[in-house]
Amino acid sequence: MFDKSTRVLVVDDMATMRKLVMKVCADLGFTDVQEAADGEKAWSIINNDPKPIGLVISDWNMPHLTGLDLLKRVRADKRYAGTPFLLVTAEAESSQVTDAVKAGVDNYIVKPFTAATLTEKLEAIHKKRGGAAAA
Amino acid sequence: MTQANVNFFKPFVDGVINTLKVQCSTEFKTAKPFYKDASNGPKVAIAAILGITSPSFTGTISLGCPKGVFLGLMGRMLTETFTDIDQELEDGAAELLNIIFGHAKRILNTQGFTLHMAIPTVIRGEGITQRHIADAPTIVLPFTSDLGEVFLEICTFPTQPTPPKP
Repeated sequence: MFDKSTRVLVVDDMATMRKLVMKVCADLGFTDVQEAADGEKAWSIINNDPKPIGLVISDWNMPHLTGLDLLKRVRADKRYAGTPFLLVTAEAESSQVTDAVKAGVDNYIVKPFTAATLTEKLEAIHKKRGGAAAA
Repeated sequence: MTQANVNFFKPFVDGVINTLKVQCSTEFKTAKPFYKDASNGPKVAIAAILGITSPSFTGTISLGCPKGVFLGLMGRMLTETFTDIDQELEDGAAELLNIIFGHAKRILNTQGFTLHMAIPTVIRGEGITQRHIADAPTIVLPFTSDLGEVFLEICTFPTQPTPPKP
């Protein structure tokens, strides 16, 4: 799993879903979890936070800037292009999955989901990026 | 109810049951659906409403429930105890409907529907009933659980001369 001091950014326009994801992150031992209510606010945090964001967990369907568009911005900026990015979506149509993969998503999770599923996805991302086995 | 209606409603029914089971750890069962009239609309304390758009029909769907049921669902979802619905908590209703619609949309779009994702809105109030688009039939799909009932209401009408499914 990721280092527990990794700065995690949870992005969702729904406060309850942010709370749910942040609770899972806390249960996993992450100690530095930030939140943003849409993609624009998330982009501002990514750009302005003195400590680099080490993992983004973002909803897809949001006003102002969608999760997919946020992902594209992150991947297009060489300063952040390597940031692990998990998309959370209520939609899982094949065309959308293809769009997300083309944009460089590390993994995606379809709502509804359990804490165990979110944990598995995070572990898969960490492993894919050459991380060590669960700490 | 026609077979076309059943085919259209089933993904929503499955979406409610699966979403509330996985996200809120609550088993729901279907109860007898009914067409809504001026006097038999379910009384709820909170409801999320979503516009449905497709090339051939339009309408609304809503997910509503009494206060105690909603607080119970949110409590199980977030593993906390809630005694009142505040602004932060109320968007949980929108999120649940969003997930249910996402499930139904994924299935229906493989059957030729072209539904688009939208962002739900939430209404609150004690003992409210919802009124959908005038003159279009609204079907109420009730679901029961140990917490109580939730109601999914679906109202659609065609937007083209040739009526599509449903």
